[in-house]
Amino acid sequence: MDLESPVTLNEPVLRWSARARSIPDVEKELSRIWARQDLTTEIDGQPGRHVAARTSVMNLVVIARRPEIAERGAATIQSLTGRHPSRTIVVQSADPDGPSWVDARIEAHCVLPRADAPETCAETIHLIAGGEAGRHLSAIVTPLIIHDLPVTIWWPGEPPFTSRAAIDLFENADRLVVDGSTWSGDGLARLAELSAMAEETGIAVSDFAQVRQSRWREAIASIFDDPDYLPYLRSLRRIAVTYGTRDDTGAPGSTNVVKAVYHAAWLASRLGLHVKQPLAAAPTPSSKSNRSSATSHGKPPMSKGLVATLSDGHHDVSVVLRPQKSDYAPGTTLRVELLCERRGSELRADVTAQAESVNVRLFQDGVDCLERHFLAARRGDVDLLAEAIESGGKDPVASGMLHAAARLAG
Amino acid sequence: MAATKAPSKEPPATKTAPLEAPADQPIPAQPAPRPKDTPRTMRELREARRGKRASRAKPAENVLREGLRLERVPDPCVLVLFGATGDLAHRKVIPAMYHLWRTNLLPHEFVLLAVGRRPYEDDTFLDEVRKSLEEFSRVLPIDEDAWRSFRGRVRYQRCDFEDPSGFDALVTVLDDVDDKEGTRGNRLFYLATQPSQFADLVAQLGRVGLDHERHDGGWRRVVIEKPFGHDLDSGKRLNREVGKVFRESQVYRIDHYLGKETVRNLLVFRFGNGIFEPLWNRRYVDHVQITVAESIGIENRGAFYEETGAVRDVLQNHLLQLVSLVAMEPPATFEADALRDEKVKVLRAIGTHPADQATEVVRGQYGSGWVAATPVPGYREEEDVDPASETETYVAARLTIDDWRWSGVPFYVRTGKRLPKRSTEIAIQFRAVPHHLFRETSSEPDANLLAIRIQPDEGIMLRFGAKVPGLGLNVRSVTMDFTYGSAFNVDSPDAYETLILDALQGDASLFTRADEVEEAWSIVDPFIDAWANAGPPEFPNYDAGTWGPDAADEMLAREGRRWRRI
Repeated sequence: MDLESPVTLNEPVLRWSARARSIPDVEKELSRIWARQDLTTEIDGQPGRHVAARTSVMNLVVIARRPEIAERGAATIQSLTGRHPSRTIVVQSADPDGPSWVDARIEAHCVLPRADAPETCAETIHLIAGGEAGRHLSAIVTPLIIHDLPVTIWWPGEPPFTSRAAIDLFENADRLVVDGSTWSGDGLARLAELSAMAEETGIAVSDFAQVRQSRWREAIASIFDDPDYLPYLRSLRRIAVTYGTRDDTGAPGSTNVVKAVYHAAWLASRLGLHVKQPLAAAPTPSSKSNRSSATSHGKPPMSKGLVATLSDGHHDVSVVLRPQKSDYAPGTTLRVELLCERRGSELRADVTAQAESVNVRLFQDGVDCLERHFLAARRGDVDLLAEAIESGGKDPVASGMLHAAARLAG
Repeated sequence: MAATKAPSKEPPATKTAPLEAPADQPIPAQPAPRPKDTPRTMRELREARRGKRASRAKPAENVLREGLRLERVPDPCVLVLFGATGDLAHRKVIPAMYHLWRTNLLPHEFVLLAVGRRPYEDDTFLDEVRKSLEEFSRVLPIDEDAWRSFRGRVRYQRCDFEDPSGFDALVTVLDDVDDKEGTRGNRLFYLATQPSQFADLVAQLGRVGLDHERHDGGWRRVVIEKPFGHDLDSGKRLNREVGKVFRESQVYRIDHYLGKETVRNLLVFRFGNGIFEPLWNRRYVDHVQITVAESIGIENRGAFYEETGAVRDVLQNHLLQLVSLVAMEPPATFEADALRDEKVKVLRAIGTHPADQATEVVRGQYGSGWVAATPVPGYREEEDVDPASETETYVAARLTIDDWRWSGVPFYVRTGKRLPKRSTEIAIQFRAVPHHLFRETSSEPDANLLAIRIQPDEGIMLRFGAKVPGLGLNVRSVTMDFTYGSAFNVDSPDAYETLILDALQGDASLFTRADEVEEAWSIVDPFIDAWANAGPPEFPNYDAGTWGPDAADEMLAREGRRWRRI
């Protein structure tokens, strides 16, 4: 079946749709789309524009555990058709205990970049695999990828990093895109699994949780662009990250702390700090004071969060991740504080965020010496995915951050 | 009485090897003397170091900067825009600033201080800015939120450039802005004025101390628009005047061509891909053609163009910049001076032989004709143009680069007004295959060609031969075409956005250095001198809407070549 829609600049339109019940049939349909000579659109009722040959700069595989995630993923990718034309394969498993089956919908979406340009088209394959077939992801995906183009896997939710089927898939891909801030619990165990899997398979990892915080990193890095403050950078002694929680006590494990960990991990990896003591629950005050605190406010006290120790081989750097009750999404970074001590002088950086900005205040020996604001618009999945897939090859900063985060997680 | 030093009778503290050994004995192999405690062998060195802390290098750079993917936000600063009410400011500079602001690429602590002669209030000026954005912004409609916050960052300051007191007042205003807006003394002076005012403006900035970079931070930079002089002498004079006030590292000479996405991609294309560079030399390249064609005329700029002409307007800057980017050796690093060092080497290697002017440079002037199905007047009939004008509206030149890589490879460059279409392109014509294997077939393929299109339809095309399907062995040229618009459907920043952001960040890679300017003038000055000494040209010598004078075609035909059909 082929569909024709009116031409709208920069709006992806569906130009082809077909169904298939097996992987070879999917391959046949993919060939058929581009073999047609008369794939044209109508302009003012007249046969008009010839649809350009497909353009693909990568294979994008979306693994969706639920139909709504698959739909959301496909919609996100369609928004990127013009910017990153890809062959997209959205894979969804169903009925794992039933017989094996495959049901695929093959579509071609096209974008008209300019009125006088040919259309840029890319294919999307929505594939549902039932029974045993759904467990062999690599066997489903591998035959459908365009050879020689990079393969990026976007796995929303909680990928099973240790499962054989997932590892087989990752071994045949170049990049895995995840969102660590959506993982259940504190996310620390998954961070360690992800890092181990990345090391084993050699796949590059893009974590939305890292990408979202790029403006924070820019703001923190800017402090040390100033030659007056640069010498303090190697004298970092304390990193404190405050993150939002909706849990009344913010007890360890109740809130995802992946984003908070990444802040400390980024600094550790850039400064060459190693983990002396991984993250553990901060010691609580004695039971007596605990009781008095609870009774005076009528509710349990907020947890002290997690602590760890980094070291540069000579000095320790303490890390504190502490929860704070907030209406923001759980795990959102609210504040990053850095303390540097050098030759009796102290530099304290206080980095906070508002709705659309990251603000830096700097105090040298207690004197307020710098204030800067960095505009940081909130970023949606389309933007995050675009940035993740734009970073071709391995990003040493991202992999260093992940590695350090895994060490911190313990 | 001055004490004289008595000659020492003591033997030297350390014995040294005799300079000359007895003739019958070999010179003993003897290591140089060392202090007693100095380790002599690797083992001694290792043992001496045992238990000692490894020396830690001082942090020379901000390691947190490494690998950050976001475009770095410049330091808090004021952009002082001279000529703020002029055409360039409204068409290019202010829209570029608005887009940088809209995309969060300017610091929050940023002020655009517009300086002009007209007696505007802030609001009057902002109304003008709004109108300009509605006309010239590359993204419409205007983002109202971004506009509201942007207009809060714009101030207008009246200043007569010939009145020194205006600059004294400017110092006070800038100090006030620093105090109120936290711009920390960082200032970028953008001279979007008449070129004749550059030297005076720079001198005034120097007089009031606005060139001084402060020890507590606070950089000062100046952006100068082309033309950088009128000839070699005036180019040198301008450099000298600017150099009296600003250090070369503070000066950013803007040639907007270098900010274009495709020109920047040229560097990535050449030095980010392994397959082309081995072919990029005299062994494989037959010749190079660079075309900057314009279909428009002089667009009511008759007075300006009469004094400028195609050589000064395009050849001396845009075309020679493209030549140097195509021909340069790979720089050791991607730092500004490493890049510019290599570019300037190319310019120095371009041979200028006054005796060859007649055969290697062709000038032209358009007569009336048809462009895009519209009749257009000849140059001499344009407004503010002398009816007997000898100004060239077209120039083509055969340049040679006398270095190891390009010796014997001609670079044909051409630029002109009122050509059939607007197009800027670099074409690398490769040599034909050494042995024509398919000579018996009906069609021999053309030699390979790589065309880099800079505007419009930015992209890269590679031409090669392929067999025509069928029983025979016919070969036809086919192309592999990469079009930016198809592969990256993204909004490329305007060249001014790229370059202004670079200047705010202190990255001078895409700006022209003083020695580049002077070298470029020294290439074109002989052309201009030769024409000045020759008789009057037979102008007009090409019709509007054609590809230039016949002599330009003959220049290539003499060597068995022809201009590419674009």
